[in-house]
Amino acid sequence: MLKYSIRRLFWIVLVLFVVAFITFSLMHLVPGGPWDREKALAPQVIENLNKKYGLDKPFYEQFGDYLWNLLHGDLGVSYRYQDRGVTEIILEGLPKTATLGGIAFLIAILIGIPLGMAAALKQNSIIDYMSVFFSTLFASIPGFVLGILLILLFSVTLHLLPTGGWGGFDHIIMPAFALAALPAAYIARVTRASMLDVLRQDYIRTARAKGLSERVVLVRHTLRNAMIPVLTVTGPELAYLITGSVIIESVFSIPGIGRLFVQGVQQRDYGLIMGATLFYAFAIALANYVVDVLYGVVDPRIRYE
Amino acid sequence: MSTVLQVSDLSTHFHTQDGVVKAVEHVSYEVAKGEVIALVGESGCGKTVSALSIVRLIQEPPGRIVSGQVIFNGTDLLKLSRQAVRKVRGSEIAMIFQEPMTSLNPVLTIRRQMTEALEIHRGMKRQEALDEAIRLLERVGITQAERRIKDYPHNFSGGMRQRVMMAMAISCQPQVIIADEPTTAVDVTIQAQLLEMLHNITKDLDTAVILITHNLGIVARYARRVYVMYAGRIVEHGLAQAVYHDPRHPYTEGLLCSVPRLDEPRCVRLVPIEGQPPDLIAPPLGCQFHPRCSQAQDQCREGTLELVEVAPGHYSSCRMARKE
Amino acid sequence: MAVAAESARPHHTLWGDAFVRLRRNRLAVAGAIIIISLALASIIVPLVSPYEFDEQNLNAILEGPSHAHLLGTDGLGRDVFTRLFYGARTSLAVGIFVQFIVLAIGLPIGALAGYAGGRVDNLLMRFVDVMFAFPDLLLIILIRAILGGSIYMIFLAIGLVAWVNLARLIRGQILSLKQRDFITAARAMGGSGPYITLRHLLPNSLGPVIVLVTFGIPRAIFAEAALSYIGIGIKPPTPSWGTMIQDGYNNIFGAPYLVLFPAIAVGILMLAFTFLGDGLRDALDPRERR
Repeated sequence: MLKYSIRRLFWIVLVLFVVAFITFSLMHLVPGGPWDREKALAPQVIENLNKKYGLDKPFYEQFGDYLWNLLHGDLGVSYRYQDRGVTEIILEGLPKTATLGGIAFLIAILIGIPLGMAAALKQNSIIDYMSVFFSTLFASIPGFVLGILLILLFSVTLHLLPTGGWGGFDHIIMPAFALAALPAAYIARVTRASMLDVLRQDYIRTARAKGLSERVVLVRHTLRNAMIPVLTVTGPELAYLITGSVIIESVFSIPGIGRLFVQGVQQRDYGLIMGATLFYAFAIALANYVVDVLYGVVDPRIRYE
Repeated sequence: MSTVLQVSDLSTHFHTQDGVVKAVEHVSYEVAKGEVIALVGESGCGKTVSALSIVRLIQEPPGRIVSGQVIFNGTDLLKLSRQAVRKVRGSEIAMIFQEPMTSLNPVLTIRRQMTEALEIHRGMKRQEALDEAIRLLERVGITQAERRIKDYPHNFSGGMRQRVMMAMAISCQPQVIIADEPTTAVDVTIQAQLLEMLHNITKDLDTAVILITHNLGIVARYARRVYVMYAGRIVEHGLAQAVYHDPRHPYTEGLLCSVPRLDEPRCVRLVPIEGQPPDLIAPPLGCQFHPRCSQAQDQCREGTLELVEVAPGHYSSCRMARKE
Repeated sequence: MAVAAESARPHHTLWGDAFVRLRRNRLAVAGAIIIISLALASIIVPLVSPYEFDEQNLNAILEGPSHAHLLGTDGLGRDVFTRLFYGARTSLAVGIFVQFIVLAIGLPIGALAGYAGGRVDNLLMRFVDVMFAFPDLLLIILIRAILGGSIYMIFLAIGLVAWVNLARLIRGQILSLKQRDFITAARAMGGSGPYITLRHLLPNSLGPVIVLVTFGIPRAIFAEAALSYIGIGIKPPTPSWGTMIQDGYNNIFGAPYLVLFPAIAVGILMLAFTFLGDGLRDALDPRERR
């Protein structure tokens, strides 16, 4: 089990390295360079700026420098906000993005899993049909579209909630729901399907044949097996929560990393783009790692890989 | 010999998109204390469904036990509440299923799966149940039981899993064990071991056994009486000896002829039964077997058939058999 | 010897069976009807409409729905109704063309990885792992930022990220099918690698591929809408639901209907594809076959 975890960790570091490399290369492939502004700068100025940021050095040297800084926790400089480092900017945005993502995740699980279970247990009932309908509905509508519709309803029409910004409960509830809708729907569907699948298995029949009560059959025999596929999708759902927040933050004007990323792209701030991308890749890798470890806890079959 | 379990006129149907499947129709059989009976027939003939109906493990919907009685120790199991049936399941009537690979819960230890029945049916506490479970595993021939009980099903081979199933089945000292094709999914060499073990254990405990199988060899060796099923009905039954030496139904004859025998010359061709099993949604009128029967007459195509005693203790539903 | 074999059930093929089951699924049928109707409308409406999609009328800006303009006008006086259906063209085009790219790249790579196994497989799977480490929307945005250019570049950007899912699926399918006896039989008869792949493995993998492609269309539509929303998607004046939503958002207090129509349109189209995809998945699931 320990060996398994360590191998995975090593693997993640490797992947992140490749991600950094690819992103770095991509940045240098973008036509137009980082100094494109509406008013073209004088060539001398550009040359000086390049020298200042080390952009005139050969590629591998730049990358080497970058990696070195990375290992020291320095994500480089922002080309736009020249007085602040990328690390600083990202750390500012981190709490907002993390809170948003965290709350959305909780909502998704707290709604998705019980809904899926209820639908599976009361198959073909009203609950089942409604849950299937709603989960399909929310799985289809893009999160940011939902967000905008929510704003339309609660801010513009009902004047109940602010359209954006960051502050308190008021500001977080709509974006969290908009973000959580898709994962909740998906988790509900997977939970339902998985429960139905497990309930059909031979070992459930064996459990009933032993005379165990339905409650025991459900809790002890069904749930753990049913949660395995749910855990599988949790990884990608977490990834979605992380990526989805990019657009949602823009819609709701939340000063998180997502919005920083979008602005970075719009303003050609390479330093920021790189930093944000790496941050996201790292977050996803971490989330997947946690899911993998949990897998080993829940399913004894894979422990001895 | 006193009858311990009696199934009377049991019918179980399944409602599917294509129609109602009459899986079990007016089936009756009984087993006495310590006796071994066999239910034989092809796959899909209703043997398993009838057994599951006894302990009410049929999924309703789409299934439904339509009629009949299952008398166990004086009570009709079909009329009991779900709770009451649960008390009987596993403790008085135990089942051993066919597929060892999928019949055990993969995420629970063997220990957990064995002790749960002991805890609820025999009221044992944790340590007591653990000791008993280890004893049971040893009884079914699993060595190093103390170590292995902590393992998971995937650490065991197919044959060993069946032993575990057997141990689970006898753990509450049931009066009846229903063994549904217990050795079909296992290697031939293991089959023999498992069956011998089952035979010894049930003899010791005086347990009645309903052995469901399509393997006629097993029946001959272990069962006292045999019921032959076809298309959801019993077509012949009697003492195994009698049925084997003097089959009174063309289907039984066909089954026996299609088994290779050691006392016949090797170049004799096996004679299969022509045709396909019938569609249980719209079975043939009259005798279900008549479309495949070489001796079919006009009278076989209509009416309902009853089991008639054609020799002492030997019953058949074939109208032709009565002539003798 | 009387031998009339009792008639077995009528013969069903996999596709025939699946089609019947699909037809029975009312939601899937509804989805298909919606998609086809929208596709037709997206072609017809811009043709018959009295307005061009980029026809500005500065005397009639931000007007609500009326007889003249069925769904109102936007900030530059353009007819929303016309633009909405023209935008449908864009969305459907993106959805479908991206799938072509996905199939063109993902199918061969996945099949190769699955069939060849060994080092090739390993290499490809490591590559897939890396791609999965990237949040896909981010990667799409990055690639789009690099490629710039026309709508075809948008197809490419989305396609370059989406093929990975298909490759993984095909590889998985082939890996499990490879073990099956009918493949061993084909090999024993002298079938070569490419022959077996084309003739046996791929056709048998078709079911999940169809489902994935069907679900891929709304994902591509979403990606394009997101790109357009943040301003690096379809360039104006070409209407895209994403840009229309962004426009609408900017005017949300003054003209709330402006954001409502494209938002609902996106929702309906994606819902329709989801129903269809679900229906296809249920219809093609071999376990459901009787």
